[in-house]
Amino acid sequence: MVGPSLSEGVVRLMELTGPADLATGVVDVQAPGSYTLGRESPLIFSSVNGPDSPKRDLHPAEVELSKLVESGDGIEFVSAFQPGRRYAFLGIRPCDLKAVEVMDRTMLAPGFEDHVYSALRSDSIFIVVNCTRAGENCFCVSMGTGPGVESGYDVAITELPEKLLIDVPERSTALFQGIELKPATEAELQTASEMVQRAREQMGRRIAERDPSKRMYAVMDSPEWGKVAERCLACGNCTMVCPTCFCNTIIDRTDLRDGSVSRVRVWDSCLSKDFVYSAGGNPRVQRMARYRQFVMHKFAYWPDEFGIYGCVGCGRCITWCPVGIDITETVNGVLKDQRPAEEKMEVHPVA
Amino acid sequence: MPRQTLHTFVRGTVHGVRKETPDTFTLLFDLGEGRKSTEFMPGQFNMLYVFGVGEVPISVASFGKEKQLMHTVRSVGRVTNVLAALAPGSSVGIRGPFGKGWPLAEAKGKQLLVIAGGLGLPPLRPVIEEGIAEPGSFDGMKVMYGARTPADLIYTYEYQRWQEADGCDLFLTVDRGTSDWKGNVGVVTTFFPKAGIDPGRAVAFICGPELMLKFSILELAKMGIPAERIFISLERNMSCATGTCGHCQLGPLFICRDGPVFSYSRVKGFFPREGV
Repeated sequence: MVGPSLSEGVVRLMELTGPADLATGVVDVQAPGSYTLGRESPLIFSSVNGPDSPKRDLHPAEVELSKLVESGDGIEFVSAFQPGRRYAFLGIRPCDLKAVEVMDRTMLAPGFEDHVYSALRSDSIFIVVNCTRAGENCFCVSMGTGPGVESGYDVAITELPEKLLIDVPERSTALFQGIELKPATEAELQTASEMVQRAREQMGRRIAERDPSKRMYAVMDSPEWGKVAERCLACGNCTMVCPTCFCNTIIDRTDLRDGSVSRVRVWDSCLSKDFVYSAGGNPRVQRMARYRQFVMHKFAYWPDEFGIYGCVGCGRCITWCPVGIDITETVNGVLKDQRPAEEKMEVHPVA
Repeated sequence: MPRQTLHTFVRGTVHGVRKETPDTFTLLFDLGEGRKSTEFMPGQFNMLYVFGVGEVPISVASFGKEKQLMHTVRSVGRVTNVLAALAPGSSVGIRGPFGKGWPLAEAKGKQLLVIAGGLGLPPLRPVIEEGIAEPGSFDGMKVMYGARTPADLIYTYEYQRWQEADGCDLFLTVDRGTSDWKGNVGVVTTFFPKAGIDPGRAVAFICGPELMLKFSILELAKMGIPAERIFISLERNMSCATGTCGHCQLGPLFICRDGPVFSYSRVKGFFPREGV
């Protein structure tokens, strides 16, 4: 079981050995490019999103896909990935559950099910905690992913003063065998709903336009992209902390002791200069092109490909960006580009 | 043997090697258990894996009736340089085939324009061979192929057979001629006005460098061939071949999974467009 736990001044998703490992009472204070711990809280689930999401365990930063040896007969497979454990995620937020659903579209696409992700994901348990406080960088309301969870959870918790309101769907009742639960009163349900509503109203960041995906294509040549990209360091932090970014590279790791080769998959980033380099050239040499790819993928390509936004509004890319680039400002900024179509760069070589 | 995944290879044993140009060569493979070359569709690609070095996406150049799997490769990087040094009897890992190939059904009974530049010819070779093996499939096939110099032309040993085949016209050109080159000099699009193209019933299959694709599309469109009848094979950095690594993304498309062959109408919002 992994859950929010304090580690080197940051609330991360760590393996839990007992309730004492939870980052109880710790409140995180986030701003663009800033994460600190502030005042204490009486709540158990007192912090919002740290840098980790279930991606860390379901699509690990480094995983051995297979191991090979070469014999006189050619290449032989020694092993393929086998999951060593199943995960229960305790205390993840609704946006992160949605992010798993987003990741599913890519990693479990029909006919292309990834054997690693599929094995790790299929037996996971998601115990989601509804948000009753909005983080400073959160914008889940705009993305329709929170602050209350709607579906797909195994257990949903709303933390009321000194008690937990636990929503247990039929299929999860086995998880609570031997645990006595009291039925919730109307008043408790009402309080929970009001607390989640308060988080909704608190949320300071938003995407100004409802369903911006289609218009994003029309503003691909906006000068706003270049302005933001001037600040971007192309470090890739945003893609590392993003709960839906999946890009990776497969490398060969050779072992001189036994001559074996591990085919290892490691996270990569579309912000890396050589990410799309091939014999035909490098289509995204400019940093602007790479930053635009990151944002367009979330806000236009994903909706086009899978009918779902690639961004869940968790705000991590804003918090962990060393220069504090705010993706909501970028999207709102480029969408303000109202120049008439003929002034914009020609998109197609033929009409 | 561990369970099969999308990352499991079959063994390809080198049956023969043919030098095409100073930097380009053709490998013929006998395949191990599990796959026959007849299971490939023209336009699809394989991932060729060199033990301890890495993988590269290479289009299938053979067609169904041929015994060996054929791949034509230019040595330009770490993996392809090792492939270039393979001798008969050595083996590589092969996984595939991947991707969606040329829509042969769309071209059935129509005039087929096969337009290739440089190393764009290999994925179109099975189309040409298919058209020659079954002369009735298309209502005439015009093969237009260009390379940088005469020394860069590949499959030169096939030209006479292609030229003489029923219903097949071959047009060759080079960007820069040499003293002994008697053929056409210029870009491949210069053939368009004189090749007897019938815009009303022509279907184009194009593969080559991006600039060549761009200008071929432009010229064909000017002749009145609609985007729905122009098909292009795109090249990107295909790395996983299963749509899960992100390297070959072009707008909302994954070239490895959704392509590499697309109708131009499908990609024209994103191709050709700088920085996408």
